[in-house]
Amino acid sequence: MVGMIETERLTRRFGARTAVEAVSMTVPDQAVYGFLGRNGAGKTTTLKMLLGLIRPTAGTARVGGVDVARDRTGAARKIGALLEAHGFYGNLTGRENLDLSRRLLGLPPSEIDRVLSVVEMRADAGRRVAGYSLGMRQRLGLARAMLGAPPVLVLDEPTNGLDPDGIAEMRGFLRDLPARTGATVLLSSHLLGEIEQIATHVGVIHQGRLVLEGELAALKAAEAPEITLRVDDPQRAAAVLRRWDLTLVEGADGMIARLRPGQDHDQVAAGLNRALVEQGVGVFAFGARERSLEGLYRQVTENTQPLPEAA
Amino acid sequence: MLTVLSVEVRKLNRSLALLLALAAPGLIALFGFLMMLRAKEAVTWDMVMGSAVAIWAYFMMPMSVTALTALVAHMEHGPRSWDHLRALPIPRWSLYAAKAICVIGLVALMSVAVLGLSGAAAFLAAQIKPVVAPTGVFELAAYARSLGLMVVAGTLMIAIQFWVAMRFASFVPALIVGIGGTFFAVVATAARQGVFMPWQMPVNILAGEAWRMQTALGLGGGLGLVVLILAVAHLARREVL
Repeated sequence: MVGMIETERLTRRFGARTAVEAVSMTVPDQAVYGFLGRNGAGKTTTLKMLLGLIRPTAGTARVGGVDVARDRTGAARKIGALLEAHGFYGNLTGRENLDLSRRLLGLPPSEIDRVLSVVEMRADAGRRVAGYSLGMRQRLGLARAMLGAPPVLVLDEPTNGLDPDGIAEMRGFLRDLPARTGATVLLSSHLLGEIEQIATHVGVIHQGRLVLEGELAALKAAEAPEITLRVDDPQRAAAVLRRWDLTLVEGADGMIARLRPGQDHDQVAAGLNRALVEQGVGVFAFGARERSLEGLYRQVTENTQPLPEAA
Repeated sequence: MLTVLSVEVRKLNRSLALLLALAAPGLIALFGFLMMLRAKEAVTWDMVMGSAVAIWAYFMMPMSVTALTALVAHMEHGPRSWDHLRALPIPRWSLYAAKAICVIGLVALMSVAVLGLSGAAAFLAAQIKPVVAPTGVFELAAYARSLGLMVVAGTLMIAIQFWVAMRFASFVPALIVGIGGTFFAVVATAARQGVFMPWQMPVNILAGEAWRMQTALGLGGGLGLVVLILAVAHLARREVL
């Protein structure tokens, strides 16, 4: 698949520590790609390599077909970025901050009002950034990333520090972004719930390795369904469940029976319920567990070995 | 490059760096003003302005350069704006070169302010206490020449301070180098080796011996320019993690 962002065995080591190991990712055109991983998993290092901020130890990164290592400025012209550190000058107003970037990008002054309108910040643009809330800084950062309407937006933890209203607002905004602007969005986060509601595609990085990538709907469809149940005698229930060839997991609210791909959820659920009752197991709760990104994430991250130290 | 430079100048708007650029010459002028009000008799313009220029060269310029480079660098280190700037589709060296030019420009502006504010302070003191009104001629060209040469001679000091301030996100290394350099320059004034201290170069411009001025211009100005180019090249090339 040809993507707006493509990496091939992208690797970065810091001394003996491997931060990113052979990451090959593809972000399709006009996708909202959720780049997931725990803190320290290698998300920011990967993004920094895409932006040409740090050099890869091995591998390549291309943005809009341009090799970042060979033509950094050419690749940078295709990217607008909102990084974790906003880098705004507190002594200047929001509009003045945007004006600095606009001048460096060689854009017309009208571009400032355009991006301020997109993030609905025109009314506050005349205030000094030092007095902005975190949410306002995030929106201003987004406005700055959109200066010149770059085809690719790289957003590092864009909902960080936002209140629930701000998160909901940002979520809706990001979800609609490709339709409104035609941009491809690469969104890094450790908030699975947020990504699940925004992203069309996901990539999961764990201990420096890309352990899962694909279209979110397809990945969720392929995930083995689960049944949750709460019973009075878990040991006897477990014995019954084993006969059904299910994987058992201890959940926070009871037992989780993970079906194998291909097993019919409804048929298994009905039979299982009947069998438990026949065996005299008291069932308090019994239900289908919704296929979730969290389930996928746990599945792939729980099976990953840590990266070895480099020689 | 002009665009990047204009952006650097705009960043100074309402900044502490700009405040310092006005405050440091202002303090010299205030000191001169108070000294004149304490005086019982008039002195020449040469003595009034010579005193202001000497304070600037010996102490205030090295300390101001230390603080100024640290403040200008902190404008980027503080909000961690390097990532944003360095991700832009412009050559990285131009970001640092523009900042260096901006700093030298501010030092030149401070030199002009030393001249203007000290002259104005003496004039004001004479209005309040006419008996201390400076005598003789106000040799504008001579004072301006000395201050201009000091900026050239101070290039090596500016380059070193700029390099350290830009390289380290913390204020501390830049302050240690600047305060240490100024201290050694002041205590080593009498020693022959002290002449070669980068922080001593502006003082050499005031020395009677021609070789000291030549050293200041050659070493402070010439080598300073080379160090500044090396600093820009190094800063542009290194990774900011």
